[in-house]
Amino acid sequence: MSDHIDGPRQIGDPSADLTDLFAFTSPENPSRTVLAANVFPTCGRDAMFSNAITHSIVVRRAKVNGLGDATKFVTSDPEIRFSVRFDTLERGAAGQKPIQRGTCTFPDGQTLRIVVNDEKGASTPDGTFRVFAGLRSDPFILAWIVAAMRPFQNLLQNDNVLCIVIEFDTRRVLEPDRGSLFGVIAETVPLARQNALVGHEPLRLDWVGRPEQTNVRLNCAFLKDADDLRDLWNQQTPFAIADGLRPLFLQRLKDSLAAYDMHDGRQDWTPAALTANANMFLDDFLLFDVAKPITDTSHMEIEKSTLDGKTYQTGGGRTVDANVIDILLTWIVNRDRELLRGGTTKATKPGMTTFPYFATPNLDLQHVSDSINLEAPPDKVWELVGQFGGNWHPLIAQIRLIGTGVGELRIIETIDRQAIIERLDHLDNSARSYRYTNIAGIPASDYTGTFQVKPNGAGSTVEWRAQYLGNGQGDLVVKTIVSTLFKTGLESLKQRFGAAK
Amino acid sequence: MRTVAGLDCVITPTTDGEIAIINLGSARSRSWSRFFADPARDGVAETVIENEQLTLQFVGDLSALDRVALLAVQLDQAKPASARTRLIQAQVASMAHRFSDARRYLAEAEIGRAPAAEVDRLRLTIDQACGNDLHSVLDVRRRIATETGGIEDLVALGSLLADLRDFDAAHDAYRHALQAYRDVSPFPIARICFQLGMLWRELAPNPNPALAGSWYRRAIAILPMYTKARVHLAEICSAEGNSGEAEELLRPVVTIGDPEVDWRLADVLADQGKFEESEERMKAAHFGFESLLERHLLAFADHGAEFYAGSGGDLRRALHLAGVNADNRPTPRALEQAHSIAISAADQVVAL
Repeated sequence: MSDHIDGPRQIGDPSADLTDLFAFTSPENPSRTVLAANVFPTCGRDAMFSNAITHSIVVRRAKVNGLGDATKFVTSDPEIRFSVRFDTLERGAAGQKPIQRGTCTFPDGQTLRIVVNDEKGASTPDGTFRVFAGLRSDPFILAWIVAAMRPFQNLLQNDNVLCIVIEFDTRRVLEPDRGSLFGVIAETVPLARQNALVGHEPLRLDWVGRPEQTNVRLNCAFLKDADDLRDLWNQQTPFAIADGLRPLFLQRLKDSLAAYDMHDGRQDWTPAALTANANMFLDDFLLFDVAKPITDTSHMEIEKSTLDGKTYQTGGGRTVDANVIDILLTWIVNRDRELLRGGTTKATKPGMTTFPYFATPNLDLQHVSDSINLEAPPDKVWELVGQFGGNWHPLIAQIRLIGTGVGELRIIETIDRQAIIERLDHLDNSARSYRYTNIAGIPASDYTGTFQVKPNGAGSTVEWRAQYLGNGQGDLVVKTIVSTLFKTGLESLKQRFGAAK
Repeated sequence: MRTVAGLDCVITPTTDGEIAIINLGSARSRSWSRFFADPARDGVAETVIENEQLTLQFVGDLSALDRVALLAVQLDQAKPASARTRLIQAQVASMAHRFSDARRYLAEAEIGRAPAAEVDRLRLTIDQACGNDLHSVLDVRRRIATETGGIEDLVALGSLLADLRDFDAAHDAYRHALQAYRDVSPFPIARICFQLGMLWRELAPNPNPALAGSWYRRAIAILPMYTKARVHLAEICSAEGNSGEAEELLRPVVTIGDPEVDWRLADVLADQGKFEESEERMKAAHFGFESLLERHLLAFADHGAEFYAGSGGDLRRALHLAGVNADNRPTPRALEQAHSIAISAADQVVAL
């Protein structure tokens, strides 16, 4: 999520917002390369791709054109472009979620139809390309309050993103014999307007090369009152920043890198080296070399070695588990003199060694349930607890009901003056059960509860269950609140109806 | 030329409305999870509010107001007395039309050194909603719209010009907003289409239902579950005697829980002679309005007044609610509504 919410144009439709770009060798098969781009930061479980955007990953052949303070990476045509467009939704079978399909167009003109969230992905008949698109766990580790340079817990814990993974035969597609170093970017571009003039392409919504170009380097928290250049940057053409704007962006990068350098009170970058670093970052594409090993720690090694005047040793790139923020901050603050480590080095879930390499999404439903056996028969118990607005719970000070039957709301005020609003979704007096949804007051999303009284011999059993979407560190709090509520309520029934013997 | 088709070529293709609504629900749910995990973290509560505002406006899910009201309480517990909390409380109060509360929170936010631009922006919105010194508001709106050229600022300007009865200028501001739009989110475009529908049916001195209807249809084509647009278009269809289409527009959004849908559908069903179902719908409308008025009186006083002055059949209640609304925000429209209901009530007394 290195590039997330980096300008007003992305905030408009979050599914247009590119968060990250990856380039690595397939852990399953070293003869294949994987390129991946993520969109829609912190999306929930039902997220879908926009059908009004072309999502592209674009590769160009690169070469080193200078070392040390003269570092320069240049790229050349032709572009190797992978584009994915998604359709509107198709109705699923009754009760099923809608289906979304898309089409991936490869550099050789082949196309491939894909089904969103199909774990196996789709492959071209000759096996050259394989593609996945769908919801995955966000692998980014943002364990810093960057504005204060303070290590923190992973701020993206339990987040999901929409992920596009394209895997291909390296030799057939990239022809590394002609040069094994490449630069890659990802971009989101809206579809053209109706009757738009040829040659007037729509303005790009977002693009990303190396991680954190926008949110860390161009929007440095230490530069007070500096104009926000991120939206202007996003409208630039990748691999071809407008000549007229290069000085503006370069100056910002120099100011920003100088501020990071001095953050620890020690100058690790000479002015000439800092300018070289800024110039390198201005040419914003993710470098990877398919002839060398790409590992979890090789990210930016190509750039760093070149700036240090040495020949690079690794394939650079970016793997799913690369801790790119620690790598970047260490480089720009102290030029790798001392490793800067965030509050954690683990993402919510690690990447996988098999296709599609990005971990399954975080969708864990949390469950709380409790029950009690009572001496009284079920009808007698239901007479009291079956009233949606019944005030029998010792932790409840008062309940107000609005409306009657399914859809009615109960507004609960607890004895510690907290408000809870719940809506009755289903009532079945013959089965002595009702189901409700929390509208507000319980700190969990998608919370539904079920209350039921069942016969149990001559007596009865009261069951109370709830499920809600987990949110990581808050889960324990919610579980405690809900289980206390259940236990206290159910225990109080023993005094009224007697415990079953 | 004021046609819908004439503007087709300037409108950017936007994300399909069904996908956008699913993604809004998805983002809204996740933003709440993040809020529950860390309510005090900068930006988290603000994102929830943005998502809930969109849900309220475009889905018609009125329980969004209940949720943000509790968010404001929880945030105040997590981060009391901060300028940021006060700004959010002001925003939440403004959403529920509790403008006096909103102004008080804004003043406190200002004392706490909240960013001046955010305070000024919200204060301007409140002034506009309350009809307070609208010509000064207009000067500021014009300046901001010229400076930013942003769609939100152009729409706010258009809305104000419409309130000030400068309909041609309002139309131009909306048209300019459509031309300026470069994003793919369908919400802003749908909103402009809806505003243009309102302009040519509800606000213009010589309403043009055909033109208004075409804008509402455009809004619904972009965002099929746009409840407010469906309700307004259904009214036009009913007035033209096309109760079948009105029913088709309203049925899919009955489950949203907006009592105005129940009310309009009850009227449509009565026109079709389906009296039993009409009565059921009218009961639901009564219940729905009373439920909303109990929880958010100021937010729904004008809607409630319109309901009770119409098929709700209680002019005394309507008059009271119209008075509450006019006291809260004495805009020309609110005063007109109160005046009109008062005359109807007087006529009724004379008739008795």
